[in-house]
Amino acid sequence: MGKRVLVVDDSSTMRKIVSRALRQAGLDFDEILEAGDGQEALNLLEGENVDLILSDINMPNMDGIEFLRQKKDIDGIKNIPVIMITTEGGADIIGEAKSLGAAGNIKKPFTPDKIREVIGSVL
Amino acid sequence: MDLDLQKQIIDSTQSVFDTMLMLPMTTGTALSEKVYNFKDSISGMLGFAGDIQGMLTIHCPQEVAFAITGALLGMEVDEVDEDVKDTIGEMANMVLGGIKEGFLEHGIQINLAVPTILAGRSYRVSGMDDATWTTVPFHLDEGQFLVELKLKDRKNR
Repeated sequence: MGKRVLVVDDSSTMRKIVSRALRQAGLDFDEILEAGDGQEALNLLEGENVDLILSDINMPNMDGIEFLRQKKDIDGIKNIPVIMITTEGGADIIGEAKSLGAAGNIKKPFTPDKIREVIGSVL
Repeated sequence: MDLDLQKQIIDSTQSVFDTMLMLPMTTGTALSEKVYNFKDSISGMLGFAGDIQGMLTIHCPQEVAFAITGALLGMEVDEVDEDVKDTIGEMANMVLGGIKEGFLEHGIQINLAVPTILAGRSYRVSGMDDATWTTVPFHLDEGQFLVELKLKDRKNR
């Protein structure tokens, strides 16, 4: 079975841009799943297996930091690597994401090369 | 605090275009007059608060918004749909994200809200008249768009 990735962002445009960048980067994901915020992602992960999560931080309902906080305590999904894709370049928020288990960070705007580099270092 | 707001806007906007859009763009000189009225346009607005409070807005004529959306999503766009509105909001988010980094280099912390979009045949955007306005025009083949930064309640540093 091929690899699956979950893209979490409240912007449908950004989810499409990330999906397009994954293809442009030549990354071999068989399926790209989408969620609009952290809560939607947690709900989806109850029934779906994924190999990687790409998540925004600044989202309504449940932001990326709270998503990381809850995910790390849930058996079955706590070990799925999460890479943050965000405009939030501040060291404090990136540090907080890292302390909650984020495996990497990609800052918007990004290139397909950057996506490939960071994902390659995680998978 | 000694921030060159025009430079912050230009550097961040240019970075977004160079990295993600690959559209040829030129930069104009900051406008001396405030612009309130827009026709057949889309405006993406993003507020922020923290050490300073304000609002970043991108005002795009429809043809410019279509070109930006098409370049980002890799498809032809010819109507104001949710993709176009969402794209202009996300552009505002990325441009303000770059400006936030510039602020951080000056020790200024801000927190971003989520974008709000206005679109229509004719509309007026007002508010924050007591703020400092910096509006920079940028030019694409399809027309000119504006990036406007309003700041108020500056903290003394």
